[in-house]
Amino acid sequence: MTAGGTQAAAERGHKLFSPGRVWAIARNTFTQLVRMKVFYFMLIFSALIIAVNFFFLGWTLEQELKSMKDAAFGAMRIFSAVFAIVGTALLIPKDIEDRTLYTILTKPVPRFEYLLGKLLGVLLLIAVSLAMMAALFFVVLYARQHQIFADELAVLPGEPSGPEREALREAIFSQGVQPRLFLAVVALFLQAAVAAAVALVVSTFASSTLFTIIVSLMVFLIGHAQSLAREVWFPEGVVHSPVARVLAGLVAIAFPDFNLFNVFDGIAVGQEVPDGLMLRLGVLTAFYLTIYMIVSWFVFAKKEL
Amino acid sequence: MPWRRVFAGVGLIGLFGIVRMPVEQGMEEELRAAGFREWSPDISSRDQLGQAGFAGALGGFRSLVALYFDVKAHSARQNKDWVEVEKFRNVTTTLQPRFWKHWDMAAWDMAWNAYAFYRREAERHRDDLEGWKIEKVTMPLYLEKGVDFARRGAKWLPDSYRLLRVVAEIYSQKYEDKCAAADWYLMASQAPDAPAYVYRAYAHHLALCEGSEEKAYEVTSALYHGGGKRTPTLRYDMEALEDHFAGAAARGKTLAELEAAAAAPGAGYRDLAALAMHLLEVAGDLSAATAAYGRLARDPEAPAFYRRKWAFLLARDPERAPAAYRALKGLYVADPDAFRQGDLRQLAELEEELSILPGERFSAPR
Amino acid sequence: MADPATPAVQIEHLTKVFPVPFRKEKVVAVDDLSLRVRPGEVYGLIGPNGSGKSTTMKVLLGLISATAGKASIFGRDSGDTASRGSVGFLPENPYFYKYLTGGETLAFYGKLCGLRRREIRERTAELLALVDLEGARDRRLGGYSKGMLQRIGLAQALVGEPKLVVLDEPTAGVDPAGSRKIRDLVLELKRRGITVILSSHLLTQVQEVCDQVGIIFNGRLVREGELDELISIEDQTELVLKNASPGLLDRIGELVAGEEGAELLHSGHPRTTLERLFLKETSGESEDGSPGR
Repeated sequence: MTAGGTQAAAERGHKLFSPGRVWAIARNTFTQLVRMKVFYFMLIFSALIIAVNFFFLGWTLEQELKSMKDAAFGAMRIFSAVFAIVGTALLIPKDIEDRTLYTILTKPVPRFEYLLGKLLGVLLLIAVSLAMMAALFFVVLYARQHQIFADELAVLPGEPSGPEREALREAIFSQGVQPRLFLAVVALFLQAAVAAAVALVVSTFASSTLFTIIVSLMVFLIGHAQSLAREVWFPEGVVHSPVARVLAGLVAIAFPDFNLFNVFDGIAVGQEVPDGLMLRLGVLTAFYLTIYMIVSWFVFAKKEL
Repeated sequence: MPWRRVFAGVGLIGLFGIVRMPVEQGMEEELRAAGFREWSPDISSRDQLGQAGFAGALGGFRSLVALYFDVKAHSARQNKDWVEVEKFRNVTTTLQPRFWKHWDMAAWDMAWNAYAFYRREAERHRDDLEGWKIEKVTMPLYLEKGVDFARRGAKWLPDSYRLLRVVAEIYSQKYEDKCAAADWYLMASQAPDAPAYVYRAYAHHLALCEGSEEKAYEVTSALYHGGGKRTPTLRYDMEALEDHFAGAAARGKTLAELEAAAAAPGAGYRDLAALAMHLLEVAGDLSAATAAYGRLARDPEAPAFYRRKWAFLLARDPERAPAAYRALKGLYVADPDAFRQGDLRQLAELEEELSILPGERFSAPR
Repeated sequence: MADPATPAVQIEHLTKVFPVPFRKEKVVAVDDLSLRVRPGEVYGLIGPNGSGKSTTMKVLLGLISATAGKASIFGRDSGDTASRGSVGFLPENPYFYKYLTGGETLAFYGKLCGLRRREIRERTAELLALVDLEGARDRRLGGYSKGMLQRIGLAQALVGEPKLVVLDEPTAGVDPAGSRKIRDLVLELKRRGITVILSSHLLTQVQEVCDQVGIIFNGRLVREGELDELISIEDQTELVLKNASPGLLDRIGELVAGEEGAELLHSGHPRTTLERLFLKETSGESEDGSPGR
């Protein structure tokens, strides 16, 4: 705290945008969420996977593997969306409530960096937890598909020929761990990222956590019926009343299309993802995050704290 | 609250919404075309799924909702509530029509499980009107439902043999309509993912379908001589068809006519087979029949099973039995698959008659 | 370094009006307030709860915007993020991330101030020593006492080597020993030449450390000046005697009675303050997180 030190700090000057600060906030957010023991959910998830594994014993092989996938991906979807919304909703209102925000914003930290750091922290959490869930599940699924293959081979009458073994392996493994399933996990991440951005926008003008969660969940649910709204707006054959069209158009404009990210239902039954679709989904997500980030900043920049 | 900024934010979201709407619509249509959106919500599906199920399916949990109804269908089956089973199977197949197992399970539940349940019910009520009603109305109804599920599923999965095979199986095993089953097996065999046995099943059912023996023979012999695996079924069918044609050629003809045909220049083994059959079955002349079959056995054109047939005929003569046994042994060592279960039994009897030592017998059923 | 003539803080005609939702009338929290703090000074802003102290500080720190007037820190407008580069702030009753340890907390704020890794390590050690929390470095803040939180808060405010430190009710809810430690820290800051603004409604505290005092009431600055000037009563003199006999006291009384215009207002045993008594009785008691506890 010498005069020299003060001078050094002053000379360093102030950067308009500093990735270091953003990263510090993101990491802090992640650490905070991790230490809030959110990863206990992994226990629930593991229990679920194991339970499903036992529950469907005795089903046919395709059904068993597919049921495991349905249940696991359903759970991953729920967990990632809930993490995105609740995690984001908890952060900013809580910082305001606890006045922690004062200590951060009275450092040379632009409000934009604060928001960006928070969002990145939540995205990091979603990514890590999805990766953990997916890794755990794929290990279980992989083990199960091999076990089923061995069991089925054992009960086949006689000595199966090479092509027969291959056909059986193909039939079982097509429902097992496949590269396409990773795309479905990526799509879950993108969807959760958009949900987090929505929650960020809401939390900048909401004053309570609960309000943020409820509104964001509503947006999330309505966002799934988006394609319906667009169909009313782009009429094909059926002509809707002008009022319905305008309402549908407003819904289509105001809410993000969450159903677009749903590629698992198709992948689960063996459909091929169209070429380049994942890339375009990624770009779309980047646009969502950018726009919502800007809107959050619009509101938050002049918010009275 | 900085309201001006809030409005600016809303404006920006709106602008973004307008820009992205056609893009998202385009991607949605692409996904639809790629088979990712085979279920779309409407009012009737809400009644079907219930409020929570509908919301779930709408909220991106279609797979999970389908799984839930799959489980419900399983437990309904355990409770033998077939109306419920049908209802839930309708839901699972509606939600995920491209998962063939849903259709398979639905068809199976109707045409096998429900059908078997009602058959037992019908037996229980054998002497009353209820039994008659079950047998005449309910059981056929469930078969129909099963076929219907499988056919509808097959339409969703045109590139797969699986559900076509299910339809064929129901026709074969439940309706005992081998001809219809053959038609469906043929369709199934044409799917790109069809394993070879589906085509063999087609051939087999065609062989069992009365009136299509010509076609059956064509298909079966093509398989038989095609270099593929000669399964026991293929051999039986081949033999049965040969017998069929021999019998058909012999029918309504006199011995003289048949002998003349067999002796005519350019006569094939078929003419000889007709004569042999006539001698054995109609004339009852064992030694002449044995001689005729002996000629068949030596005919390189004739199928190999005539050698076995001839050897067994030869064995009927006690003096020639040891020689016949040696011949049979030779045939068996060369091609054990040529011996059917019945042939092996016959062989065992022969060994018994000839008092072959147990250690030297080869007829122990495999 | 900044020009010594530039005031550390300059607030001019500051007015802050809060609208009340669904009502026409508005709440005027700060009304045409002006003040100046010179570099190196310890300035005490005193006033009852709700008088506008916190609002003034929030405007100064850019947390809220002024309805009218302006505030600046070392010549930079306080709406400018860069002005925060030379400020450290300790809010009233601060909560930090309770899942972080003391060391992590300081490192986090250090990074926000743009410190490098090595600097952070040095600053953290230095500040933990300064606020006497070295023993609690690796404990999570969730387990800190009120006084320890206040001190880690102060350390956090100092992490960016600020030239100005703003403390909002730094001793609220802290016991006298803790409060004394904080007072000592403020005096240490003063010794190092750091400007301090301190708000409080506890007058003795302000009296002990401040050079300059402003009294704020209903959003207006009602009195301002040097502490000694404000509190000395010019026409009175205090005498404290030891082992005085009753006779001596009588004689003094007579002397006073004989003097024209003079008057003996009060005589009796002086009392120690309760605070002083408490401190004497509890001295040596530590309330911070020494490792043995």
